Formats: sequence, C-alpha cells, structure tokens
Amino acid sequence: MTDEQLIAQLKKRDRNALKSVYLNYKTEFFKFMSRYNAKNDVLEDIFQDALIVLYENAQSGKLDALKSTVKTYLFGIGKFMLFKHFRDSKREVPTEETYLFDQYEQAVIEDVYEDEGPNDYQKQMAASFKKLGDKCREILELFYLQGMKLGEITVRQGYDNKDVAKSQKSRCLKSLKQLIGKKDG
Amino acid sequence: MDKEELINGYFEGSLSQNQLEEVERLLITDSEFASEFGFQKELQVSLKKEERQEIKAMFSDIADKDSASETKVFQLRPWLAAASIALLVGLGSWFLLFNNPDLNTNELYAANFKPYDNVIHPIERGNQLEDLKTRAFTAYENEEYPEALILFQELQSKQNDAYIDFYSAMVLMQLNKQEEAIPLLEGYIEQEGELKDRASWYLALAYLKKEDLDSCKKELKTLVEKNEFKARAAENLLEQLN
Repeated sequence: MTDEQLIAQLKKRDRNALKSVYLNYKTEFFKFMSRYNAKNDVLEDIFQDALIVLYENAQSGKLDALKSTVKTYLFGIGKFMLFKHFRDSKREVPTEETYLFDQYEQAVIEDVYEDEGPNDYQKQMAASFKKLGDKCREILELFYLQGMKLGEITVRQGYDNKDVAKSQKSRCLKSLKQLIGKKDG
Repeated sequence: MDKEELINGYFEGSLSQNQLEEVERLLITDSEFASEFGFQKELQVSLKKEERQEIKAMFSDIADKDSASETKVFQLRPWLAAASIALLVGLGSWFLLFNNPDLNTNELYAANFKPYDNVIHPIERGNQLEDLKTRAFTAYENEEYPEALILFQELQSKQNDAYIDFYSAMVLMQLNKQEEAIPLLEGYIEQEGELKDRASWYLALAYLKKEDLDSCKKELKTLVEKNEFKARAAENLLEQLN
C-alpha cells in the first residue's frame, strides 16, 4: 500500500489499515526511540497514541497534503509525545526540536496524550449510542466523528436535500436523549 | 440563521467570526441553547473516546500476541536470528502450501462478525405489551442468546415470517452453531427476504468460521459485485483470504 492509499483508507476509518501501520512500523519505532532510554511500556503507549493521532488527523484531512512520508509523520508525533512525557516527569529534553505540526495537529496530539478514557457519563452515552439504528449511528458518526458537513452527508447518504439530513440528525439526537433518559429512570 | 443551524455550523467549522460570537453570547444567556450545545459536544467527545478505546484494545491484542515471542527473538545472535527467520519462512510456506484452510479464519471471523441490529421490531422500553415477538427481540438486544433462540423458535411455529429465520441465524452464529445457521440463511436468501444482502454477508462469515473458504469467497464476491451492503468489508476480507 502506498502512503496515499493508506491515507485514503484511514479517512474511511478502515481499522485494518491502521492495524497494518501498527504491524509494519512497530519494530522500527522502538528502534528509533531506543536512543532516548524510555521504558518499553511507555513506548508502547506512546506508539499507540501516535497511531490514533495519525488516524484522526487523516480523517480531518490534515494528511491530504502531507510533505513527508507517513512514517516520518508518525515518528514525529511519537517523539513529540515522548518529550512531553519526559517533561511531565521532570526529565530534561533537548529544546531545539522543531516540528511541522500546526496548531490544530498539536491540539489533537495533546488531546490524545491527555485522554484518560471516558467518564461514566461518556460511557453511558457511548453505550446508548450503540443502541440506535444503523441510519442514526451513520449520520451521527459522519457528522461528529468524521467531521463531515451536512451538505456532504446529504450527497453521500443520498438524502433528498440538506434539510432532510438536518432533520434526520435532529431526530437521531432526540432518540439518543430518550435512550439515555430511560437508563437514568 | 436559527439556533440549530448555529450549532451545526459550529461543529462543521463553518461559522463566521460574528456567528461564533453569537454562539458565545447564547451559551451565557440562553440555558436551553447551552444545554443542547453541551449535549452535542459531549456526544462528540464520547464517540471519540469510545473509538480510541476500541482501537487501543485492538492494538493491545496484537501486542500481547507478539510480546512473548518477540523479546526472545531479538536476543538471539544475528546468525541465529537469520537462521530462525529462514526456518520460519520455510515453515510459513509449508503452512501456506499444505495447510491452507488456515490458522487465521477464526481471527478473521471474530474481526468481522457483529450480530445484525434489530431492525424488525423496535422495542419501546417500558412498554407494557410483552408479546412473544417483543420478548424475543428484547432477549436478542440484551444479548441473551440462548433465551432468544427458544423464543424465536416459538415465534417461528406461530407465524411464519422470513425475518425470524434471519434473526435465528444471528443467534445461532452467536452461539457458535454456524452449521445450523447456514441452512436458515440460505433459505432466507432464496425467499428473497428483505435483508437478503445482510444474510449473504453473514452466510459468508458462517462459511469462514467453518473454514469452507470456497463458499465463503463465493458469497463475498456476490456482495462485492452488488456493491451495496458491506461491499468494502467483503472486498477487504476477500483480499485477506487470497
């Protein structure tokens, strides 16, 4: 798979493609990072987080005009995260490092790095979400997760017009609220 | 622009500076707006976190499988490593050549199988009407499969609707009885049931689990040709099988 094909698959939220990135680059990533003397379990965490950032940034179109290879980009995220980890644990790090990430990309890296998993309400929200019908899950995922605009969703899902997509989305949100409400009661 | 459009625009990232300021103003002055906005923001965060967890679980699965063998291999001397790689490659091709219906069908099955949603009989929770159909689908939705199987069989004896076969097959697959699910799915497809494409996909998976790869591939090809439900997943799976 070329980098372009890979990015295209990641944009479609193809997890198998992401799995192949994990398998292809893991050994090399650990080798690349070995010079910084980090523990293996830290590196494993960081590698996984870096892949998630890759996945999310691909989806928001940040990799469409990628100037480096996917590998360089991925390892750059890893290094950024590892240094952040060192700083958090008061270990000295070189300060002259430069990265090619823009503000948005950096925010995603930090968000994934800081993510400590869902709280109870978020877990409940995700569980209720899974109980929605296919159509609702699709439209809500496209909108909130993949960041697609309603106009784009209209075309992709074959809705008659944007208003139909808009009211479908609103109905789905209502069903979700009802599902959550019932669990509370 | 109404309030709903403002919120949508916010998530689409298509608001002008003025409109963003309007959002900020409403968040402070309009509690209904604030709560709606908050709900959608929370949904977005929840979905993201859920997906991240699922992905990490997938990675950890691979990592666990690797870790035992990997640490040892890397401590071997280079020549020994080279020799073992040669041996592994040799063994690998032996497996490919002679042992093809192979080691990873279970894994592929597990990665692809997810019981189909109840689209036949939406359940209004709290509804008093506890008829047989409701009980069957409630058990199904609650993943109480042995119970669901009995109820679907009872339902089948009373009303002969095709979809019952489809959902019985889902339950059987969930209980690892692919053998029994296959004829039901085949029958359902033959009767041109409404969920026919879905049934094809599950039939392919049932064959996969049984390691009947020829039949599995045949079903997958039908799905790819139709290019509708699960066409991409079918294509991926076909690639992995070939």
